[in-house]
Amino acid sequence: MNPSIEIQLIALVTAAACAIPGVFLVLRKMALISDAISHSILPGIVIGFMITQDLASPWLILLAAISGIITVVLVEMIQKTGLVKEDTAIGLVFPALFSIGVILIAQNANDVHLDVDAVLLGELAFAPFDRLFYEGTDLGPKALWIISGILLLTISLMLAFYKELKLSTFDIGLSSALGFSPVILHYGLMSVASVTTVAAFDAVGAILVVALMITPAATAYLLTTDLRKMILLSLLFGMGSAIGGYWLAHWLDASISGSITTVLGLLFLGVYLFAPSKGLIAVLLRQNRQRKEVSLLTFLLHLNNHDSKEERHVAHLQEHINWQKVRAKSVLDLAVQNNMITIENQVVSLTRKGLEFTEKALEYIITNKDEKIEAMKDDFFLFRG
Amino acid sequence: MDITQYFTDYTLRTITLGTAVLGAICGMLGSFAVLRKESLLGDAISHAALPGIAIAFLITGAKDSNVLLLGALVSGLIGIWWIRGIVSKTHLKTDTALGLILSLFFGFGMLLLTYIQKQPNANQAGLDKYLFGQAATLVESDVILMSVITGISFLVLLLFWKEFKLLLFDQDYAMTLGFNTKFIDGLISFFIVVAIVIGLQTVGVVLMSAMLLAPAAAARQWTNSLSVMVLLAAIFGMFSGVFGTAISSSQPNLSTGPVIVLVAAVFVVFSFIFSPGRGILFKQIRLLRNRRELELQKTLYFMYSIVRKHDDISRPHAIRILNNFQGFTKNTLSKLEQKHWITVKGNTWSLTDSGFETASNLYNTNNPLV
Repeated sequence: MNPSIEIQLIALVTAAACAIPGVFLVLRKMALISDAISHSILPGIVIGFMITQDLASPWLILLAAISGIITVVLVEMIQKTGLVKEDTAIGLVFPALFSIGVILIAQNANDVHLDVDAVLLGELAFAPFDRLFYEGTDLGPKALWIISGILLLTISLMLAFYKELKLSTFDIGLSSALGFSPVILHYGLMSVASVTTVAAFDAVGAILVVALMITPAATAYLLTTDLRKMILLSLLFGMGSAIGGYWLAHWLDASISGSITTVLGLLFLGVYLFAPSKGLIAVLLRQNRQRKEVSLLTFLLHLNNHDSKEERHVAHLQEHINWQKVRAKSVLDLAVQNNMITIENQVVSLTRKGLEFTEKALEYIITNKDEKIEAMKDDFFLFRG
Repeated sequence: MDITQYFTDYTLRTITLGTAVLGAICGMLGSFAVLRKESLLGDAISHAALPGIAIAFLITGAKDSNVLLLGALVSGLIGIWWIRGIVSKTHLKTDTALGLILSLFFGFGMLLLTYIQKQPNANQAGLDKYLFGQAATLVESDVILMSVITGISFLVLLLFWKEFKLLLFDQDYAMTLGFNTKFIDGLISFFIVVAIVIGLQTVGVVLMSAMLLAPAAAARQWTNSLSVMVLLAAIFGMFSGVFGTAISSSQPNLSTGPVIVLVAAVFVVFSFIFSPGRGILFKQIRLLRNRRELELQKTLYFMYSIVRKHDDISRPHAIRILNNFQGFTKNTLSKLEQKHWITVKGNTWSLTDSGFETASNLYNTNNPLV
């Protein structure tokens, strides 16, 4: 196989392996655990290297995964004391472990060919050089085998425990009442995240692992609230960015990890801006409309309370309610469009529809009962959605 | 290692001063980050500063650290602004937003750095010192700049003290009082980003978050007052810097940044255990004391329930009859006697008047036992 295809395959499989645990991390509000693990595995790797003097030893991966799980346990312990919040606990644990790792490397700098940069940043382009041989036959890059194994493990675990995971993610109380142990699920998920991080950091670096875990899931979460769809979309986004990023790097002659992250970033930016109902533009439009509608409602209530012509004069809107010209006009237009008011000689009066509407609204405001607005939902967009 | 070296050795003095100032400003502003439950903001922003450094270098082609830090500042501010945007406009939570910005900006920064490295420009070496920090590169002008920034942020903190405080603890109330919460919020975010950016050069991207929150988390354990906490955090941060530099300079091959972080971690562990109000040690002691107190009260009440059936409350009873009750030991009896609730004679005990009185009020919620 040529290296280009091998690199793309590794990127693809890594993206898939990260995306699945990432979905659950994002949904459980534990996205930053992946960041913490990706840093705090450093001492595990260094100690493993000091023992075995071999960067390819499986001990390194094992020790790194263990230090990942130690991170999770420490965070949990600190949080249990109630002295600080969870995020502070995370922020205290991983820099300390990372510092220990950096100091260990520096202390043994003479005989350790271990670079902090390499651990953190990774270089996908080098992954195909480390190959797996069986009785002299070249079986392909080692990283591809490791990460594929982890992907298979992740997928089978997810399929086996899908409903438990789903339930404990969305309703931890119910799931523990039904007898699923939240602790086992928590640590199971954390172990998968930790092992995936360890396996992936070697090939793509710590930061890309974080990006591959969080970004596809977050992007998918802006598009759907269905867990199944969210997982599929995350896989799609992660794997798509892996391929796109590879070619971007190829074109720019730059870091592959960096360009995959950049593609992920652009993808997220696009969805963040343009997602149909949860994107920034959609949200801003909706907020703007709702603000206008609230103004309209205020205005109608005002009309309802005041009969005198002078109170109902168009100019009065600007004087009395202190609305700017643009806002006053847009509110008036909206009201006219909806046949709520008529304007004669600059004097506004409520139509029958407007009157009815205002009274219903008033009733709703006074009683605050949901059934009062049910009937209004159809002829007024304020309450829609 | 000689103490006079601090005053004679130029490099050591500069680094010590620099890390002390850095620790102070980080502790001061970190308190706000921690109290706003944004502890990992430092981590996210310090990563988000990387593309700014790279772009500043690409634009100017110069390695002037002030220009690069300006780039870092701009990109950090964009990062924090986007984080706030994600949190307020979508249903994604703070942790996701932080992780997103952290990894995406950093990855983009890496892309730019590797792109720069391929450029035919020999001047790019050393950009990566921002990743891991190098306190040794601090020079006097850096320390002066850091001191000036610390001074400014301290003044702003004093000037807007009540606004900051109000925003921290009751944002809605601040809004109803007519404060421009957006402005105050932006101001504090701005200064947090500034603190992070000036720390990049010294302790690096990864360890910056610890500088920001460890002193604050330690200080939080000793006080419930914001002003004391900010002050303590600044002091803890300062000492972390000074001690960390001292320890790392006493041995070869000890990088300053990680040592400072570990010293700060020691402060945290010490505070978690030994702080009188919240610390684990005193909490445990209080728990044990309460448990013993409860045990005594249970014994007393059991005695009371025996005595109550008799007319004469001071009539002695055999100690033996307490045996079926678990809370009874020699120790509890002598404790009860010390409190003058009972008198013990030989193998018998009898309730005193005050013991009877106390016991009869024991479970009366209107008369909490003193």
